[in-house]
Amino acid sequence: MNPRRVTAALVLLAAAGILRILFVHFVSEPRREPVRAPIDPRYEALRRLVPSGEAGYVSDLPVAVHLGEDAAGLGTRMYLQTQFALAPVVLRYDDARANVVIANVANPAMLPEVLRQRSLSLLAEAGPGLAVARPR
Amino acid sequence: MSVLAIALFGAGAVAAGFPRSAGSGVERAFRAVVALALGIGAWSAAYAGWLMGAGIAGPGKDLALAAAGAALWIAFRRRQPATESQAEAAPRWLWLLFALSCAVAAAAFVEHTLRFPDGGWDAWMIWNLRARFLARAADFRTAFSPDMAFLAHQDYPWLLPGAVAQAFAAFGESRAIPALVAAIFGALGVAVVALAVARKFGARWGLFAGLAVTTLPCFPVFVSNQQSDVPLSVYLAIAAALLASAGSRRELALAGFAAGLGMWTKNEGSLYAICLLAALLWRTRDLRAAAAFAGGVLPGALLLLWFKLALAPPNDLAAFSTAGTLLHNALDLRRWGELALMTLRRIVYFQDFALWVAAEALFLAFFVRRQQPSVLGTALFLACAAFAPIYALQPHRLDWIFRTSADRILIQLWPAAVLATAPFLARTTART
Repeated sequence: MNPRRVTAALVLLAAAGILRILFVHFVSEPRREPVRAPIDPRYEALRRLVPSGEAGYVSDLPVAVHLGEDAAGLGTRMYLQTQFALAPVVLRYDDARANVVIANVANPAMLPEVLRQRSLSLLAEAGPGLAVARPR
Repeated sequence: MSVLAIALFGAGAVAAGFPRSAGSGVERAFRAVVALALGIGAWSAAYAGWLMGAGIAGPGKDLALAAAGAALWIAFRRRQPATESQAEAAPRWLWLLFALSCAVAAAAFVEHTLRFPDGGWDAWMIWNLRARFLARAADFRTAFSPDMAFLAHQDYPWLLPGAVAQAFAAFGESRAIPALVAAIFGALGVAVVALAVARKFGARWGLFAGLAVTTLPCFPVFVSNQQSDVPLSVYLAIAAALLASAGSRRELALAGFAAGLGMWTKNEGSLYAICLLAALLWRTRDLRAAAAFAGGVLPGALLLLWFKLALAPPNDLAAFSTAGTLLHNALDLRRWGELALMTLRRIVYFQDFALWVAAEALFLAFFVRRQQPSVLGTALFLACAAFAPIYALQPHRLDWIFRTSADRILIQLWPAAVLATAPFLARTTART
Protein backbone atom coordinates (compact mmCIF):
# COMPACT_ATOMS: atom_id res chain seq x y z
CA MET A 1 0.00 0.00 0.00
CA ASN A 2 1.12 3.52 -0.71
CA PRO A 3 2.37 5.00 2.60
CA ARG A 4 1.28 8.51 1.65
CA ARG A 5 -2.25 7.38 0.92
CA VAL A 6 -2.44 5.40 4.13
CA THR A 7 -1.18 8.42 6.09
CA ALA A 8 -3.70 10.69 4.39
CA ALA A 9 -6.54 8.24 5.07
CA LEU A 10 -5.63 7.95 8.76
CA VAL A 11 -5.38 11.73 9.12
CA LEU A 12 -8.79 12.11 7.48
CA LEU A 13 -10.32 9.50 9.80
CA ALA A 14 -8.81 11.26 12.82
CA ALA A 15 -9.98 14.67 11.59
CA ALA A 16 -13.53 13.39 11.09
CA GLY A 17 -13.48 11.99 14.62
CA ILE A 18 -12.13 15.21 16.15
CA LEU A 19 -14.72 17.33 14.34
CA ARG A 20 -17.51 14.99 15.40
CA ILE A 21 -16.38 15.13 19.05
CA LEU A 22 -16.17 18.93 18.95
CA PHE A 23 -19.62 19.20 17.34
CA VAL A 24 -21.32 16.82 19.80
CA HIS A 25 -19.83 18.19 22.99
CA PHE A 26 -19.55 21.89 22.23
CA VAL A 27 -22.33 22.61 19.72
CA SER A 28 -25.08 19.98 19.73
CA GLU A 29 -25.23 18.73 23.32
CA PRO A 30 -25.19 22.16 25.02
CA ARG A 31 -28.24 23.07 22.94
CA ARG A 32 -30.36 19.95 23.38
CA GLU A 33 -29.15 18.17 26.52
CA PRO A 34 -29.78 20.06 29.76
CA VAL A 35 -27.22 19.65 32.51
CA ARG A 36 -28.51 16.81 34.69
CA ALA A 37 -29.10 17.55 38.34
CA PRO A 38 -27.12 15.29 40.67
CA ILE A 39 -29.23 12.43 42.05
CA ASP A 40 -28.38 12.72 45.74
CA PRO A 41 -29.86 16.08 46.81
CA ARG A 42 -33.48 14.93 46.28
CA TYR A 43 -32.90 11.97 48.60
CA GLU A 44 -30.74 13.58 51.31
CA ALA A 45 -33.56 13.91 53.86
CA LEU A 46 -34.78 10.39 53.09
CA ARG A 47 -31.32 8.97 53.63
CA ARG A 48 -31.19 10.49 57.09
CA LEU A 49 -34.55 8.87 57.89
CA VAL A 50 -33.64 5.43 56.51
CA PRO A 51 -29.88 4.95 56.86
CA SER A 52 -29.62 1.14 56.71
CA GLY A 53 -31.44 -2.18 56.51
CA GLU A 54 -34.16 -3.09 54.05
CA ALA A 55 -37.24 -1.20 52.96
CA GLY A 56 -40.20 -1.72 50.72
CA TYR A 57 -40.67 0.57 47.75
CA VAL A 58 -43.95 1.73 46.22
CA SER A 59 -44.64 4.26 43.51
CA ASP A 60 -47.32 5.60 41.20
CA LEU A 61 -45.28 4.36 38.21
CA PRO A 62 -44.29 0.78 37.38
CA VAL A 63 -40.72 -0.49 37.69
CA ALA A 64 -39.20 -2.99 35.27
CA VAL A 65 -38.71 -6.16 37.29
CA HIS A 66 -39.74 -8.72 34.69
CA LEU A 67 -38.75 -9.57 31.17
CA GLY A 68 -40.16 -7.21 28.55
CA GLU A 69 -40.97 -4.34 30.92
CA ASP A 70 -39.75 -0.84 30.14
CA ALA A 71 -36.28 -0.69 31.65
CA ALA A 72 -35.81 2.94 30.62
CA GLY A 73 -39.14 4.28 31.90
CA LEU A 74 -39.47 7.01 34.50
CA GLY A 75 -40.74 4.60 37.18
CA THR A 76 -37.70 2.36 36.76
CA ARG A 77 -35.37 5.36 36.78
CA MET A 78 -36.93 6.70 39.99
CA TYR A 79 -36.56 3.32 41.72
CA LEU A 80 -32.94 2.89 40.60
CA GLN A 81 -32.02 6.46 41.56
CA THR A 82 -33.60 5.97 45.00
CA GLN A 83 -31.63 2.74 45.37
CA PHE A 84 -28.43 4.55 44.34
CA ALA A 85 -28.99 7.39 46.79
CA LEU A 86 -30.08 5.19 49.70
CA ALA A 87 -27.44 2.45 49.45
CA PRO A 88 -26.79 0.39 51.56
CA VAL A 89 -30.55 0.20 52.14
CA VAL A 90 -31.96 -2.59 49.97
CA LEU A 91 -35.21 -1.48 48.34
CA ARG A 92 -37.73 -4.24 47.67
CA TYR A 93 -39.98 -3.08 44.89
CA ASP A 94 -43.73 -3.39 45.47
CA ASP A 95 -43.29 -4.65 49.03
CA ALA A 96 -45.82 -2.63 51.02
CA ARG A 97 -45.69 -5.01 53.98
CA ALA A 98 -42.11 -4.29 55.02
CA ASN A 99 -41.55 -2.55 58.37
CA VAL A 100 -40.38 0.54 56.51
CA VAL A 101 -41.75 1.49 53.10
CA ILE A 102 -40.41 4.22 50.83
CA ALA A 103 -43.07 5.91 48.72
CA ASN A 104 -41.66 7.75 45.71
CA VAL A 105 -44.18 9.22 43.30
CA ALA A 106 -43.67 11.15 40.08
CA ASN A 107 -46.79 13.23 40.77
CA PRO A 108 -46.61 14.50 44.38
CA ALA A 109 -50.39 14.97 44.42
CA MET A 110 -50.69 11.17 44.11
CA LEU A 111 -48.84 10.44 47.34
CA PRO A 112 -51.90 10.24 49.64
CA GLU A 113 -53.68 8.04 47.08
CA VAL A 114 -50.73 5.66 46.74
CA LEU A 115 -50.46 5.37 50.52
CA ARG A 116 -54.20 4.75 50.80
CA GLN A 117 -54.22 2.11 48.04
CA ARG A 118 -51.31 0.25 49.64
CA SER A 119 -52.75 0.55 53.19
CA LEU A 120 -49.77 2.55 54.39
CA SER A 121 -49.64 5.25 57.01
CA LEU A 122 -47.30 8.17 56.59
CA LEU A 123 -44.34 8.37 58.97
CA ALA A 124 -42.51 11.32 57.46
CA GLU A 125 -42.34 13.27 54.23
CA ALA A 126 -38.83 13.63 52.84
CA GLY A 127 -39.52 15.98 49.95
CA PRO A 128 -42.04 16.44 47.14
CA GLY A 129 -43.51 13.01 46.35
CA LEU A 130 -41.13 11.26 48.70
CA ALA A 131 -42.14 9.73 52.01
CA VAL A 132 -41.42 7.08 54.60
CA ALA A 133 -44.42 4.98 55.55
CA ARG A 134 -45.36 1.80 57.36
CA PRO A 135 -48.15 -0.73 56.98
CA ARG A 136 -51.34 0.16 58.78
CA MET B 1 -0.42 2.15 51.73
CA SER B 2 -2.81 1.58 48.81
CA VAL B 3 -0.55 3.55 46.46
CA LEU B 4 2.44 1.51 47.60
CA ALA B 5 0.50 -1.74 47.10
CA ILE B 6 -0.52 -0.72 43.57
CA ALA B 7 2.97 0.44 42.64
CA LEU B 8 4.85 -2.51 44.14
CA PHE B 9 2.51 -5.18 42.86
CA GLY B 10 2.44 -3.61 39.39
CA ALA B 11 6.24 -3.39 39.33
CA GLY B 12 6.56 -6.97 40.58
CA ALA B 13 4.11 -8.34 38.02
CA VAL B 14 5.90 -6.55 35.20
CA ALA B 15 9.31 -7.71 36.47
CA ALA B 16 8.02 -11.27 36.47
CA GLY B 17 6.38 -10.93 33.08
CA PHE B 18 9.23 -9.47 31.05
CA PRO B 19 12.38 -11.60 30.99
CA ARG B 20 14.33 -8.97 29.04
CA SER B 21 15.37 -5.48 30.08
CA ALA B 22 13.56 -2.53 28.57
CA GLY B 23 15.74 -1.32 25.75
CA SER B 24 14.10 2.04 25.11
CA GLY B 25 12.13 4.80 26.72
CA VAL B 26 9.00 3.68 24.88
CA GLU B 27 9.39 0.15 26.26
CA ARG B 28 9.89 1.52 29.78
CA ALA B 29 6.81 3.71 29.40
CA PHE B 30 4.77 0.74 28.13
CA ARG B 31 5.82 -1.38 31.07
CA ALA B 32 5.04 1.44 33.49
CA VAL B 33 1.55 1.79 32.04
CA VAL B 34 1.00 -1.98 32.20
CA ALA B 35 2.28 -1.99 35.81
CA LEU B 36 -0.16 0.75 36.81
CA ALA B 37 -3.15 -0.96 35.18
CA LEU B 38 -2.30 -4.38 36.62
CA GLY B 39 -1.50 -2.83 40.00
CA ILE B 40 -4.92 -1.15 40.19
CA GLY B 41 -6.64 -4.33 39.02
CA ALA B 42 -4.80 -6.54 41.50
CA TRP B 43 -5.50 -4.02 44.29
CA SER B 44 -9.22 -4.24 43.57
CA ALA B 45 -9.18 -8.01 43.09
CA ALA B 46 -7.31 -8.48 46.39
CA TYR B 47 -9.93 -6.31 48.09
CA ALA B 48 -12.66 -8.59 46.73
CA GLY B 49 -10.78 -11.72 47.73
CA TRP B 50 -10.20 -10.38 51.23
CA LEU B 51 -13.85 -9.38 51.61
CA MET B 52 -15.15 -12.72 50.39
CA GLY B 53 -12.65 -14.64 52.50
CA ALA B 54 -12.57 -12.66 55.72
CA GLY B 55 -15.60 -10.40 55.47
CA ILE B 56 -13.45 -7.30 55.89
CA ALA B 57 -10.53 -5.76 53.98
CA GLY B 58 -8.17 -3.85 56.23
CA PRO B 59 -4.63 -2.54 55.69
CA GLY B 60 -3.31 -6.11 55.93
CA LYS B 61 -4.55 -6.67 52.41
CA ASP B 62 -2.45 -3.80 51.02
CA LEU B 63 0.52 -4.95 53.04
CA ALA B 64 0.24 -8.48 51.62
CA LEU B 65 -0.15 -7.15 48.08
CA ALA B 66 2.87 -4.86 48.47
CA ALA B 67 4.92 -7.73 49.93
CA ALA B 68 3.91 -10.04 47.08
CA GLY B 69 4.90 -7.37 44.56
CA ALA B 70 8.23 -6.75 46.25
CA ALA B 71 8.93 -10.49 46.37
CA LEU B 72 8.19 -10.82 42.65
CA TRP B 73 10.37 -7.83 41.87
CA ILE B 74 13.30 -9.23 43.86
CA ALA B 75 12.88 -12.76 42.47
CA PHE B 76 12.80 -11.58 38.85
CA ARG B 77 15.09 -8.53 38.99
CA ARG B 78 17.80 -10.15 36.87
CA ARG B 79 16.94 -9.76 33.24
CA GLN B 80 18.37 -10.76 29.92
CA PRO B 81 19.66 -7.94 27.75
CA ALA B 82 17.12 -6.05 25.66
CA THR B 83 16.65 -6.84 22.00
CA GLU B 84 16.85 -4.19 19.30
CA SER B 85 13.49 -2.76 18.34
CA GLN B 86 12.49 -0.94 15.21
CA ALA B 87 11.76 2.70 15.74
CA GLU B 88 10.33 4.80 12.97
CA ALA B 89 10.27 8.36 14.27
CA ALA B 90 7.11 10.42 13.98
CA PRO B 91 6.96 13.77 12.21
CA ARG B 92 6.25 16.87 14.30
CA TRP B 93 2.83 17.42 12.72
CA LEU B 94 1.74 13.95 13.86
CA TRP B 95 2.78 14.67 17.45
CA LEU B 96 0.77 17.90 17.27
CA LEU B 97 -2.26 16.11 15.83
CA PHE B 98 -2.08 13.48 18.57
CA ALA B 99 -1.72 16.16 21.26
CA LEU B 100 -4.71 18.00 19.78
CA SER B 101 -6.79 14.81 19.77
CA CYS B 102 -5.91 14.14 23.42
CA ALA B 103 -6.85 17.72 24.35
CA VAL B 104 -10.18 17.43 22.49
CA ALA B 105 -10.97 14.06 24.08
CA ALA B 106 -10.06 15.42 27.53
CA ALA B 107 -12.25 18.49 27.00
CA ALA B 108 -15.12 16.28 25.86
CA PHE B 109 -14.63 14.11 28.94
CA VAL B 110 -14.83 17.16 31.21
CA GLU B 111 -17.86 18.54 29.37
CA HIS B 112 -19.73 15.24 29.57
CA THR B 113 -18.80 14.70 33.22
CA LEU B 114 -20.16 18.14 34.12
CA ARG B 115 -23.33 17.55 32.09
CA PHE B 116 -23.95 14.11 33.64
CA PRO B 117 -22.51 14.48 37.16
CA ASP B 118 -23.40 10.93 38.22
CA GLY B 119 -22.01 9.37 35.06
CA GLY B 120 -23.94 7.29 32.54
CA TRP B 121 -27.12 5.40 33.42
CA ASP B 122 -25.26 2.17 34.14
CA ALA B 123 -22.79 3.99 36.38
CA TRP B 124 -25.40 4.86 39.02
CA MET B 125 -27.58 1.84 38.28
CA ILE B 126 -24.78 -0.71 38.63
CA TRP B 127 -21.14 0.28 39.10
CA ASN B 128 -21.19 3.23 41.51
CA LEU B 129 -24.25 1.75 43.24
CA ARG B 130 -22.12 -1.31 44.01
CA ALA B 131 -19.20 0.89 45.12
CA ARG B 132 -21.53 2.72 47.53
CA PHE B 133 -22.80 -0.55 48.96
CA LEU B 134 -19.24 -1.81 49.43
CA ALA B 135 -18.14 1.41 51.07
CA ARG B 136 -21.23 1.96 53.23
CA ALA B 137 -22.65 -1.44 54.19
CA ALA B 138 -21.77 -3.12 57.47
CA ASP B 139 -21.89 -6.44 55.60
CA PHE B 140 -20.49 -6.25 52.05
CA ARG B 141 -22.81 -9.11 50.98
CA THR B 142 -25.68 -6.62 51.03
CA ALA B 143 -24.28 -5.27 47.74
CA PHE B 144 -25.40 -8.46 46.01
CA SER B 145 -28.82 -8.82 47.58
CA PRO B 146 -31.24 -10.54 45.18
CA ASP B 147 -34.01 -8.39 46.70
CA MET B 148 -32.98 -5.46 44.51
CA ALA B 149 -34.37 -5.23 40.96
CA PHE B 150 -32.43 -7.28 38.43
CA LEU B 151 -31.37 -4.09 36.63
CA ALA B 152 -28.85 -3.49 39.43
CA HIS B 153 -27.09 -6.54 37.95
CA GLN B 154 -25.82 -7.87 41.26
CA ASP B 155 -24.08 -10.72 39.45
CA TYR B 156 -21.56 -8.48 37.65
CA PRO B 157 -17.91 -8.78 38.67
CA TRP B 158 -16.64 -5.79 40.63
CA LEU B 159 -13.13 -4.68 39.76
CA LEU B 160 -14.26 -1.11 39.09
CA PRO B 161 -16.63 -0.85 42.09
CA GLY B 162 -13.88 -2.34 44.26
CA ALA B 163 -11.43 0.35 43.17
CA VAL B 164 -13.98 3.14 43.62
CA ALA B 165 -15.14 1.81 47.01
CA GLN B 166 -11.57 1.71 48.31
CA ALA B 167 -11.02 5.26 47.07
CA PHE B 168 -14.25 6.29 48.84
CA ALA B 169 -12.93 4.70 52.03
CA ALA B 170 -9.61 6.50 51.69
CA PHE B 171 -10.74 9.96 50.57
CA GLY B 172 -14.43 10.12 51.50
CA GLU B 173 -17.41 9.85 49.16
CA SER B 174 -17.37 12.36 46.35
CA ARG B 175 -18.59 12.37 42.76
CA ALA B 176 -15.04 13.34 41.79
CA ILE B 177 -13.70 9.91 42.74
CA PRO B 178 -15.47 7.71 40.17
CA ALA B 179 -14.81 10.43 37.59
CA LEU B 180 -11.10 10.40 38.44
CA VAL B 181 -10.93 6.60 38.35
CA ALA B 182 -12.69 6.72 34.97
CA ALA B 183 -10.18 9.31 33.70
CA ILE B 184 -7.25 7.13 34.82
CA PHE B 185 -8.61 4.13 32.93
CA GLY B 186 -9.30 6.30 29.87
CA ALA B 187 -5.74 7.60 29.87
CA LEU B 188 -4.42 4.07 30.38
CA GLY B 189 -6.45 2.88 27.40
CA VAL B 190 -4.89 5.42 25.05
CA ALA B 191 -1.41 4.91 26.50
CA VAL B 192 -1.51 1.10 26.29
CA VAL B 193 -2.50 1.16 22.61
CA ALA B 194 -0.13 3.93 21.54
CA LEU B 195 2.87 2.55 23.44
CA ALA B 196 2.22 -1.10 22.53
CA VAL B 197 2.31 -0.19 18.84
CA ALA B 198 5.19 2.29 19.23
CA ARG B 199 7.40 -0.28 20.98
CA LYS B 200 7.11 -2.60 17.98
CA PHE B 201 6.71 -0.29 14.99
CA GLY B 202 7.98 3.09 16.12
CA ALA B 203 6.43 6.37 17.25
CA ARG B 204 4.73 7.10 13.91
CA TRP B 205 2.52 4.02 14.11
CA GLY B 206 2.12 4.39 17.86
CA LEU B 207 0.67 7.86 17.40
CA PHE B 208 -1.67 6.70 14.64
CA ALA B 209 -2.85 3.88 16.90
CA GLY B 210 -3.42 6.34 19.73
CA LEU B 211 -5.35 8.60 17.34
CA ALA B 212 -7.63 5.71 16.43
CA VAL B 213 -8.66 5.56 20.09
CA THR B 214 -8.77 9.25 21.06
CA THR B 215 -10.73 10.31 17.96
CA LEU B 216 -13.36 7.58 18.18
CA PRO B 217 -16.25 9.91 19.08
CA CYS B 218 -17.83 7.61 21.68
CA PHE B 219 -14.52 7.05 23.49
CA PRO B 220 -14.56 10.18 25.71
CA VAL B 221 -18.27 9.60 26.32
CA PHE B 222 -17.68 6.06 27.52
CA VAL B 223 -14.78 7.21 29.69
CA SER B 224 -16.98 9.84 31.33
CA ASN B 225 -19.81 7.32 31.74
CA GLN B 226 -17.84 5.75 34.63
CA GLN B 227 -18.77 2.23 33.57
CA SER B 228 -16.66 -0.91 33.31
CA ASP B 229 -16.36 -0.99 29.53
CA VAL B 230 -13.24 1.18 29.29
CA PRO B 231 -11.44 -0.65 32.15
CA LEU B 232 -12.27 -3.94 30.43
CA SER B 233 -10.90 -2.57 27.16
CA VAL B 234 -7.68 -1.66 28.98
CA TYR B 235 -7.16 -5.19 30.34
CA LEU B 236 -8.10 -6.75 27.02
CA ALA B 237 -5.69 -4.42 25.21
CA ILE B 238 -2.86 -5.29 27.59
CA ALA B 239 -3.54 -9.00 27.15
CA ALA B 240 -3.74 -8.51 23.39
CA ALA B 241 -0.54 -6.47 23.19
CA LEU B 242 1.43 -8.96 25.27
CA LEU B 243 0.00 -11.94 23.44
CA ALA B 244 0.86 -10.44 20.06
CA SER B 245 4.44 -9.64 21.02
CA ALA B 246 5.26 -12.40 23.50
CA GLY B 247 8.70 -13.87 23.13
CA SER B 248 8.48 -16.02 26.25
CA ARG B 249 5.99 -17.92 28.35
CA ARG B 250 6.41 -15.33 31.12
CA GLU B 251 4.97 -12.67 28.83
CA LEU B 252 2.13 -15.03 27.95
CA ALA B 253 1.42 -15.57 31.66
CA LEU B 254 1.34 -11.80 32.16
CA ALA B 255 -1.05 -11.52 29.20
CA GLY B 256 -3.20 -14.14 30.89
CA PHE B 257 -3.09 -12.22 34.16
CA ALA B 258 -4.38 -9.12 32.37
CA ALA B 259 -7.12 -11.20 30.71
CA GLY B 260 -8.03 -12.59 34.14
CA LEU B 261 -8.42 -9.05 35.47
CA GLY B 262 -10.67 -8.43 32.47
CA MET B 263 -12.79 -11.35 33.66
CA TRP B 264 -13.04 -9.69 37.05
CA THR B 265 -14.07 -6.41 35.37
CA LYS B 266 -17.10 -7.52 33.37
CA ASN B 267 -18.83 -10.73 32.31
CA GLU B 268 -17.71 -10.21 28.70
CA GLY B 269 -14.13 -10.47 29.97
CA SER B 270 -14.61 -14.23 30.35
CA LEU B 271 -15.57 -14.51 26.70
CA TYR B 272 -12.50 -12.52 25.66
CA ALA B 273 -10.17 -14.62 27.82
CA ILE B 274 -11.59 -17.82 26.31
CA CYS B 275 -11.25 -16.41 22.79
CA LEU B 276 -7.63 -15.36 23.39
CA LEU B 277 -6.80 -18.81 24.73
CA ALA B 278 -8.61 -20.58 21.90
CA ALA B 279 -6.91 -18.43 19.26
CA LEU B 280 -3.51 -19.02 20.83
CA LEU B 281 -4.06 -22.76 20.72
CA TRP B 282 -5.54 -22.67 17.21
CA ARG B 283 -2.83 -20.57 15.60
CA THR B 284 0.26 -21.80 17.44
CA ARG B 285 -0.68 -25.39 18.43
CA ASP B 286 1.64 -24.76 21.37
CA LEU B 287 0.18 -26.37 24.49
CA ARG B 288 2.87 -24.96 26.76
CA ALA B 289 2.18 -21.43 25.55
CA ALA B 290 -1.53 -21.96 26.11
CA ALA B 291 -0.83 -23.38 29.57
CA ALA B 292 1.27 -20.31 30.45
CA PHE B 293 -1.53 -18.00 29.34
CA ALA B 294 -4.13 -20.07 31.19
CA GLY B 295 -1.96 -20.04 34.31
CA GLY B 296 -1.95 -16.26 34.20
CA VAL B 297 -5.72 -16.16 33.80
CA LEU B 298 -6.22 -18.42 36.81
CA PRO B 299 -6.25 -15.84 39.67
CA GLY B 300 -8.92 -13.74 37.99
CA ALA B 301 -10.89 -16.79 36.87
CA LEU B 302 -10.88 -18.35 40.35
CA LEU B 303 -11.95 -15.09 41.96
CA LEU B 304 -14.81 -14.79 39.48
CA LEU B 305 -15.84 -18.41 40.02
CA TRP B 306 -15.77 -17.94 43.80
CA PHE B 307 -17.99 -14.87 43.51
CA LYS B 308 -20.41 -16.49 41.10
CA LEU B 309 -20.76 -19.62 43.23
CA ALA B 310 -20.78 -18.00 46.65
CA LEU B 311 -22.51 -14.66 46.28
CA ALA B 312 -23.85 -13.70 42.88
CA PRO B 313 -27.55 -14.09 42.12
CA PRO B 314 -28.33 -15.57 38.67
CA ASN B 315 -27.55 -13.44 35.63
CA ASP B 316 -30.70 -11.97 34.07
CA LEU B 317 -29.91 -13.52 30.68
CA ALA B 318 -29.90 -16.95 32.32
CA ALA B 319 -32.71 -16.24 34.79
CA PHE B 320 -35.14 -15.16 32.08
CA SER B 321 -34.17 -17.90 29.60
CA THR B 322 -35.81 -21.29 29.30
CA ALA B 323 -35.16 -24.15 26.91
CA GLY B 324 -38.27 -23.01 25.09
CA THR B 325 -37.15 -19.38 24.61
CA LEU B 326 -33.68 -20.51 23.54
CA LEU B 327 -35.09 -22.85 20.92
CA HIS B 328 -37.65 -20.32 19.76
CA ASN B 329 -35.03 -17.57 19.40
CA ALA B 330 -32.55 -19.91 17.70
CA LEU B 331 -35.10 -20.85 15.05
CA ASP B 332 -36.44 -17.35 14.56
CA LEU B 333 -34.88 -16.38 11.21
CA ARG B 334 -36.38 -12.90 11.40
CA ARG B 335 -34.44 -12.33 14.63
CA TRP B 336 -31.15 -13.36 12.99
CA GLY B 337 -31.91 -11.12 10.01
CA GLU B 338 -32.74 -8.20 12.29
CA LEU B 339 -29.45 -8.76 14.12
CA ALA B 340 -27.48 -8.78 10.86
CA LEU B 341 -29.17 -5.60 9.70
CA MET B 342 -28.61 -3.77 12.98
CA THR B 343 -24.95 -4.84 12.95
CA LEU B 344 -24.42 -3.53 9.42
CA ARG B 345 -26.10 -0.26 10.32
CA ARG B 346 -23.94 0.06 13.41
CA ILE B 347 -20.75 -0.23 11.37
CA VAL B 348 -21.60 3.04 9.62
CA TYR B 349 -22.92 4.75 12.76
CA PHE B 350 -21.12 8.06 12.28
CA GLN B 351 -22.49 9.62 15.48
CA ASP B 352 -20.50 7.26 17.70
CA PHE B 353 -17.72 5.93 15.51
CA ALA B 354 -17.21 8.63 12.83
CA LEU B 355 -15.65 6.66 9.96
CA TRP B 356 -13.32 4.47 12.00
CA VAL B 357 -15.38 1.31 12.23
CA ALA B 358 -16.47 1.46 8.60
CA ALA B 359 -12.81 1.92 7.59
CA GLU B 360 -11.79 -1.02 9.78
CA ALA B 361 -14.51 -3.21 8.24
CA LEU B 362 -13.38 -2.30 4.72
CA PHE B 363 -9.76 -2.90 5.63
CA LEU B 364 -10.64 -6.32 7.04
CA ALA B 365 -12.80 -7.24 4.08
CA PHE B 366 -10.43 -6.20 1.32
CA PHE B 367 -7.00 -6.51 2.80
CA VAL B 368 -6.48 -8.32 6.10
CA ARG B 369 -8.42 -11.44 5.13
CA ARG B 370 -5.81 -12.15 2.44
CA GLN B 371 -3.01 -12.05 5.04
CA GLN B 372 -1.72 -14.75 7.33
CA PRO B 373 -4.14 -14.82 10.30
CA SER B 374 -2.76 -13.63 13.62
CA VAL B 375 -3.55 -14.93 17.11
CA LEU B 376 -5.06 -11.60 18.09
CA GLY B 377 -7.08 -11.21 14.91
CA THR B 378 -8.42 -14.73 15.34
CA ALA B 379 -9.35 -14.05 18.97
CA LEU B 380 -11.27 -10.91 18.01
CA PHE B 381 -13.00 -12.73 15.18
CA LEU B 382 -14.05 -15.49 17.59
CA ALA B 383 -15.33 -12.91 20.09
CA CYS B 384 -17.38 -11.10 17.43
CA ALA B 385 -18.73 -14.39 16.14
CA ALA B 386 -19.70 -15.47 19.66
CA PHE B 387 -21.77 -12.33 20.14
CA ALA B 388 -24.12 -13.34 17.30
CA PRO B 389 -25.72 -16.30 19.14
CA ILE B 390 -25.53 -14.43 22.46
CA TYR B 391 -27.62 -11.60 20.97
CA ALA B 392 -29.95 -13.90 19.09
CA LEU B 393 -30.64 -16.31 21.95
CA GLN B 394 -30.86 -13.89 24.90
CA PRO B 395 -34.38 -13.38 26.23
CA HIS B 396 -34.77 -9.58 26.04
CA ARG B 397 -36.15 -7.62 23.09
CA LEU B 398 -33.40 -7.72 20.49
CA ASP B 399 -33.55 -4.08 19.41
CA TRP B 400 -33.45 -2.88 23.03
CA ILE B 401 -30.52 -5.06 24.11
CA PHE B 402 -28.60 -4.32 20.90
CA ARG B 403 -29.18 -0.57 21.17
CA THR B 404 -28.04 -0.51 24.79
CA SER B 405 -25.00 -2.77 24.42
CA ALA B 406 -23.53 -2.75 20.89
CA ASP B 407 -21.51 0.43 21.39
CA ARG B 408 -20.12 -0.74 24.71
CA ILE B 409 -18.97 -4.00 23.13
CA LEU B 410 -17.31 -2.01 20.37
CA ILE B 411 -15.53 0.17 22.92
CA GLN B 412 -14.36 -2.94 24.79
CA LEU B 413 -12.93 -4.46 21.62
CA TRP B 414 -11.74 -1.35 19.77
CA PRO B 415 -8.30 -0.87 21.40
CA ALA B 416 -7.51 -4.56 20.82
CA ALA B 417 -8.77 -4.25 17.25
CA VAL B 418 -6.42 -1.32 16.69
CA LEU B 419 -3.58 -3.43 18.06
CA ALA B 420 -4.53 -6.25 15.70
CA THR B 421 -4.70 -3.95 12.68
CA ALA B 422 -1.62 -1.82 13.24
CA PRO B 423 0.94 -4.53 12.35
CA PHE B 424 -0.67 -5.08 8.93
CA LEU B 425 -0.59 -1.36 8.17
CA ALA B 426 2.92 -0.92 9.49
CA ARG B 427 4.34 -3.87 7.57
CA THR B 428 2.66 -3.17 4.26
CA THR B 429 3.61 0.48 4.21
CA ALA B 430 7.12 -0.01 5.65
CA ARG B 431 9.63 2.35 4.11
CA THR B 432 12.61 0.49 2.76
